[in-house]
Amino acid sequence: MSEERYKLHWITAAIEVLKTAKEMVLPLILLVFAKGWSNPGSGKWYLDYLTFIIFSVLLILFFISGIIKWKRFEYWFEDDELRIEYGLFVKKKRYIPFDRIQSLDYTEGILHRPLKLVKVKVETAGSSSPKKSEAELTAITKDAAKRIEIEIAEAKSRRKAIPVEEGILHEGNHVVEEPQVKSIFTMSVKDLLILATTSGGIGIILSGAAIFLSQFADKIPFEWMYEEVSGFIKYGLLIVAIVVFIGFLIVWALSVAMTFLSYYGFSVSLEQQDIVITRGLLEKKRMTVPLNRVQSVRIIENPFRQLFGYAAVVIDSAGGGGAEGAKINLFPLVKKSDINGPLKEIFPDLILAEPKKKLPARGKRYYYRIDFIWMIPAISALTYFFFPYGLLSLFIVPIIVLFGLWQHRSAAYEISGNQLTMRFRGISLQTAYLMKKRIQSMEMKQNYFHKRKQVATLAASIKSGMGIFNAQVLHMEESEAESVLSWYEKNRSGQQ
Amino acid sequence: MRTQPINRISEKGLKVWRLYGIMQSVVVLLLAIGGGIVTYINEGPWWIYAIAAVAIILFAYLFIVLFPKVRWMRWRYEVRESEIELQHGLFIVKRTLIPMVRVQHVDTTQGPILRKYDLAGITISTAATNHTIPALVTEEADELRSRISVLARVAEDDV
Repeated sequence: MSEERYKLHWITAAIEVLKTAKEMVLPLILLVFAKGWSNPGSGKWYLDYLTFIIFSVLLILFFISGIIKWKRFEYWFEDDELRIEYGLFVKKKRYIPFDRIQSLDYTEGILHRPLKLVKVKVETAGSSSPKKSEAELTAITKDAAKRIEIEIAEAKSRRKAIPVEEGILHEGNHVVEEPQVKSIFTMSVKDLLILATTSGGIGIILSGAAIFLSQFADKIPFEWMYEEVSGFIKYGLLIVAIVVFIGFLIVWALSVAMTFLSYYGFSVSLEQQDIVITRGLLEKKRMTVPLNRVQSVRIIENPFRQLFGYAAVVIDSAGGGGAEGAKINLFPLVKKSDINGPLKEIFPDLILAEPKKKLPARGKRYYYRIDFIWMIPAISALTYFFFPYGLLSLFIVPIIVLFGLWQHRSAAYEISGNQLTMRFRGISLQTAYLMKKRIQSMEMKQNYFHKRKQVATLAASIKSGMGIFNAQVLHMEESEAESVLSWYEKNRSGQQ
Repeated sequence: MRTQPINRISEKGLKVWRLYGIMQSVVVLLLAIGGGIVTYINEGPWWIYAIAAVAIILFAYLFIVLFPKVRWMRWRYEVRESEIELQHGLFIVKRTLIPMVRVQHVDTTQGPILRKYDLAGITISTAATNHTIPALVTEEADELRSRISVLARVAEDDV
């Protein structure tokens, strides 16, 4: 067993410093704005530039600590464990048994790529902290990353020879040297453009712009602008339209740029028992999800995409940390008609038929009735205070009712063998495919009114990262909800 | 129609909930007295006192008498060989099913008030969710905890 100790690449120090510097940028900007150059100098130069002096001293300190951290970081393999030693003041050691390592995720940032380096994140089933992965090797050469992989694979195959009572994660991992890679899914430039156009990203940019503007509201000379604008409108509607159009164009271009940055070259492939997802333009990311950690498969169609027959497929993984590890975009955008093929290749056991069982008509009212609790006071208040125009708020009633009816019509469910399919709509339509053995618990909820009409709400809890995902069909037939519960309780997962 | 789970929680649990209700009512009462003093100083109209009084009485009735009663009547649980079933909820009745294979660990907890009444709560955790049975006689809770942990160990694990 080699016990040679490895170091990270020296660029690690630079990356560490940049990372801390990046975190400091925002406070720095805030300080500059808060103190600013507006107040007159006190005559003493070191007081005027105090903030800058403090920040530059901090920066130098970070630089030194970055170098020391890099110097101190070591990793090696011993006793079928990945062992890491690190720490600035306190020396910490972390030993991760190969058995517990679920996946190695690679990221290539801008600094990594010219030097052919990767950042490696070691993911285990239960991370000690929900936000971070178990271990992170900030920058190592690709060969070194390969070596870790081989080291792990060898150890696992060695283990395989001796039967172990603990369930081995990777079955069928006999061939170590030649992993079979099967490409499943890629995204073309056209797909990316559609993804950018139909994603919520545009909304985020718009609201971001709004927040930005509101921050600087007092700095913007509104009165002057009003005069300008009123003069401007005189030029005619055409110009206004053009300006608005250009505004939207810029927002769209930003959204496209953001999408390209994170999704360029998106591809999904299957390597033995792992799903491997690679993506990114400047920062290339490579993520591995072991198949047996997948807890659910969900197809999500937002109304806009549904209109054009597009959908997104996400999976929930039990491994990995926190929110990021939880919901993984498997296919960020795909034609609805093209989903089945590639999805079947990854999950051959999944039954992808549309759920057929609909909800009873008597459940309709529950989808909108509860909203009257806030609608009636809101509408009465608006009507009272803004008398004639407040009445316009009555239009919210049919909108809410129709929306509720739409949700009711969208919902469906189906039991097929060991699989429960649930379809429900918030705004986007979601179809969740849940295997019985992945459902952590199920709940049936009924209030007094539900009981009277014999309807019930059914929820299934799925592990997703460190948290929970709840699939929930609202207001379905009571007896059907009960039969799903009995399905869940009978012939336990191990058996069929 | 599914049958309800068999077991009820301890009757002393009802007492504890009433005690909680009394504590909450006292807090509300103090708030109302404070408000009353402010009204008195500002020479507010008489009906403010009336509203406050009605509110307190209503609050006390709901939180000391009615809600604990309904909650207690509703609370049922059953630990079977291969699953745990719970039923609870004040306005919304929730029935939860937890297969034994999914149980990761079981805890019993006991605060000062529960200890005084010789009660304990028992929390069942799966990989994702937590479920609590709020008030069982300590002995019963301990016994149930070890029973669940034995059953969970026997049940085949494949997460």
